[in-house]
Formats: sequence, structure tokens, C-alpha cells
Amino acid sequence: MEQSIKYTPFFLLCGVLIVSLIVGLLSRRHDRGGYGVQVRSIGHASIGAAIASNWMSAASFLGIAGVFFLNGYFAFAYILGWTGGYVLLLVLMGSQIRRFGKYTAPDFVEARYDSSVARVFSAVIAIVISLIYCVAQYKGIGMVFAWMFGIDYTQALVFGVLITFAYLMVAGGLKAARNPQMHYLVIIIAFVVPLMLIAKKLGYNWLVPQFSYGRALRDLPEQVSNAYLFPWTFGSPYEWIALCFTLMVGTAGLPHVLSRFYTVPNNRDARWGVVWGLFFIGLLYWSAPAFGAFAHTWLTNSGTILTPAEAQALADIIVIKTAEWVGLHEIFVSVLAIGGVLAAISTITGLLVTGAGAISYDIYYRLINPKATESHLLIVAKGATLALALLVLVIAVNPPGLIAQITAVAFALAGNTLFPVFLLGIWWDRANKYGAIAGMTVGTIITFAPILLGNLIPTLRTILPPTSSALVGAPVVILTMIIVSRLTPPPPEHLRRFLVEKVHSP
Amino acid sequence: MSQTNEQEDPKREDLRINFFRPRPGFMRKEVTIIWVTLAAWATMTFGMPIHLAFVHTDPTRTLAEAPYIFGIPAYFWFSGQFLILWFIFLCFIFNVLIDWLSSSYRRRR
Repeated sequence: MEQSIKYTPFFLLCGVLIVSLIVGLLSRRHDRGGYGVQVRSIGHASIGAAIASNWMSAASFLGIAGVFFLNGYFAFAYILGWTGGYVLLLVLMGSQIRRFGKYTAPDFVEARYDSSVARVFSAVIAIVISLIYCVAQYKGIGMVFAWMFGIDYTQALVFGVLITFAYLMVAGGLKAARNPQMHYLVIIIAFVVPLMLIAKKLGYNWLVPQFSYGRALRDLPEQVSNAYLFPWTFGSPYEWIALCFTLMVGTAGLPHVLSRFYTVPNNRDARWGVVWGLFFIGLLYWSAPAFGAFAHTWLTNSGTILTPAEAQALADIIVIKTAEWVGLHEIFVSVLAIGGVLAAISTITGLLVTGAGAISYDIYYRLINPKATESHLLIVAKGATLALALLVLVIAVNPPGLIAQITAVAFALAGNTLFPVFLLGIWWDRANKYGAIAGMTVGTIITFAPILLGNLIPTLRTILPPTSSALVGAPVVILTMIIVSRLTPPPPEHLRRFLVEKVHSP
Repeated sequence: MSQTNEQEDPKREDLRINFFRPRPGFMRKEVTIIWVTLAAWATMTFGMPIHLAFVHTDPTRTLAEAPYIFGIPAYFWFSGQFLILWFIFLCFIFNVLIDWLSSSYRRRR
């Protein structure tokens, strides 16, 4: 690792953060109404860009290319899971949850299941999901900063936490609004333009590197090429399907994805926004594998051979490394690095704010101190943000896997707990609070058992891989909820009437 | 069990919601659209890996015999690029159908 600070990316990063603050301040004047609900009518494409910008994190920007670099075809399980999940969300729950009219996962759970215990349980789950998700983002930031400043990972991580915190405080203090459309545009340009230049440098069609990387893969020595093109070199069909399914149900159960359905004025706009959102997300996912493929082209051309450990260590910044290896101008390498950091920072701020909200409102206010004043809650929320960030830091010092893998665990938890609770809450009137609580308990156990007990009972990890436990988990949880609900009294009549008259009527 | 009494009692209003036994009218049609979309989503997404699991077991043979498109094996292109387009298409069709359904029910009122 080089021991020198790279000044270009550093100054560019500072510049971009300052510009985004200024844009935030300018767009604040046009933004009315709290909770990010835009009052004026906006186009479907613009809603889609907001969905995509909310979605794109370090896992999409840095993680996917890394998995493809290591595992070839297996990475498509991530790509398809993270796009196909939106179909599930739109088709099964989008309109109904909107008609239900509750904006956060804990709010929905309390209103539907009429239980504050279930509410607190779902709030804790939402917080844990945010935590795991943040760990993955911080790993991305730590690795990029380590590369940028030539320091070791832990130092870079601490530095990254400080930077995100400074940004969060300044942005919060100035009450700067986020401009999701601009954010999306910056990220996608920062991703695709350097990729085109890489393709050009290596002599492949640079206009659509999304297609030409296939050619690049075929040009590799046969043994390498076959390994990456053959579907089952790096994972069995069961592992592939389980992972893909887990990410899909996880997407449909993620609290911060669901709440996107409310930031637009009406149901129809929200639905059409998803079509555009998928297209915008697709632009990134069509491109990401190309970085992994071109990295192999360079390695082959230059005769460099990486040991598996070296490849593993580089995978999460392979996007940046590829640009550096093929000799792209410093500016473009920096643009990639900053795109990754921006994607991570915006995701972290969103998740920490959601997590802190759940702690201060759903847990502190509802459970511990119902007489707390507004300003008191604000202090609790700030303290909670700090506590969450420190906790994330402690876990991220020894990241348990690749960025995409860590993120997948958060999806497994969402798919094993919140997804069944939402699904049955909407589609079965008989689901009650006992069922929901039992279901969430079983789901939590299924998610964490292979992680905690995997070393003791190795078969547990074969059946329930930590990243992919929802293929077995979600059906088991749904079954648990059905059985427990059947054995206990039905939910109150007013709730069921609400489902019939409001949620399932045009 | 308690819910059997509930179902048999004619005086009680029917408040049952069940995905597999949708209420007549709007919900039944909505659920039909959902079933069709879900089927198209599941067969394409999971059909390919299941097909690959049975057909492609040997790397050298697979890559020599598989059909090619845009210079890569067709299954590779299908998973990496086509399916995302397919998802976008499904969401589009779903929205068109739901728009049509809700507007026809609004007119009837």
C-alpha cells in the first residue's frame, strides 16, 4: 500500500460535500412539509431517481463489482435479488401498505397488530437492520479512505466516522435538504463514465461496456474464463437460489425502502415511480460486473497473479483499483472513490437517523418515558445516533465479510421478520399479535443461529447460510405465524373492518 | 376453534381477508393480476438456475455447447442483463393493469 496521501480525491471529496450542502440549502426553500413529503406534483422519473438514490449504497457501488471479481456468475444472485425484490414489493404490498397509511415499520406493526410489545420488537429489529447495514457502509468508507490516505484500515475507519459525523451535524444544523435526483445523477455518472474509459483503455467497446465485458471475459485464458462464466464454480444452485430469494424478500421488508412509498403524493405516482426506480438501479447493476471482468483482463495482461487472500482483500475496492491499474487519469480514479464514499455517507445518514428515531420515539418515548418533551426526545435521538455510530465502529473494525455479504445479513433479518409480518398483516385478517410476536422471535433466531452457532453445528450453515437464511426462514416464520394466530383469539373487529374497507378496496 | 363459529354465524358480517380466497369484486381481480405477475416473476428468476442446475454440470462441456448471444453464453446474458429488463417490464404491465382495474371501479361508483 502506498504511504502517501492522494490529494486529488481528498480535495474533490471536500468540494463535493460542500457543494452538496449548498445545493441542500438552496433546495430547502422549495421543500415544504415535513417528512420529506413533496407537496407539488413531480414526474414519475424524478420519483424513480429518488427511489434509486435512496437505494444505492456502498454495497451497490463497491460491493457487487467485488463479488463479481471473486465469484463471477454467483454475483448475479445479488444483482437479481436486489432488483427483483422491487417486483415483489410493488406487486404484493406497495398499494396496500400505502392505503393502510402508516409510515414506519413500528407504526404499521402497532396499528395492525394492536400491540405495543410487537411494536417495540419490530423497532428493535429495525434498529439492528440499520446497524448491520451501516457496518457494511463503514467498511466501504474505511477501505476507500485507507486507499486515499495511505493509512491502515482502522485509522481510516475512525477518520471516516468523524467525517460522516461532521457532515451529519453541519447538514442537520443548517437543516439542509437532500436533493435525491442530483445525488442519483452524480453517483451514476461517477460510476459509468470511468467504466467507459476503462473499457476504452483495454480496447473494448467503450460505448456500452455493459455488453463488452462479456467479450473481455471470453478473452481471458480459458481456465479463468470458464470459471467465471460457468454458473456453479463458486456456489451450488441451492446457495444461489437461497441468496437470491433472501435478498428479494429482504428488499420487500426493509423499513427504509418501504417508507419511500410515502414520500410521493399518491399511490399511482408511487407505483409508476418504482418502474423508473428499477430502471435507474438497473443502470448501475448492468455496469457493476464489468469492473470485475476488466480487473481480470488487466491482471492477465500484466501477468499479475493474486493469491486468494490478496484478491479477497482487494475485492471491495476493485472498482477503484481497476481504474488505477489500467492507468486512468487521477481525476477519474478519484471520481470513482468519491462516488463510493458519497453512496455510503448518504445511506449511513439515512439509516442512523431512522435508527435514532426508532430508539428515541418507539422505545424511549413509548416505553420508558411517555412524558418526555419534544426537546428532550431530540437530545435522546442525538445521543442514540452517537451510540449507534460507536457500536457500528466497534463491529466494523473487524468486518466479518465482504460489503455485499454483510449487507445481505441485514436483508436476511428483514426477510425473516418484517416481511412475513407485513405480508400476513395485509393479506390475512386472522393474523394477530401473538402470531406476529412468535413469528418475529422465530425469524430472529433463524437469522442469528447460523452466525452464532455455525462453528458448533456446521450443517446449520449449509442449510441456513448467514447471508441466505430466508429461503427456509421466511416460510417457517409464515407458518409459525399462521399456527400461533389460529390457536389464539382473532384480532379486534375494528381492525379487520379497516382491512376490508380501507386496505382492500379501490 | 373460534373462527369456525364465526364463519357459520349468518348474522355476522364477513370480514375475512385471505390471499387464497379473495373477496369477490375488486380484490378478486387484483389478486388475479398479482398471481399472474408473481408467476411470471418466479418462473423467469428461479427457472433459469433450476434449469442450469440440471443441464449444466460440467464447465468445459457447458461453455462449448451452450448457445451464445452478444459473445457470451446465453444463460449468462439472461441472468446478468435480460432479467432486470424483465423486472422493469413486469412492473410496467402490473401498473397498467392495476390502473385499468382501479379506474373501472371508480367509474362504477
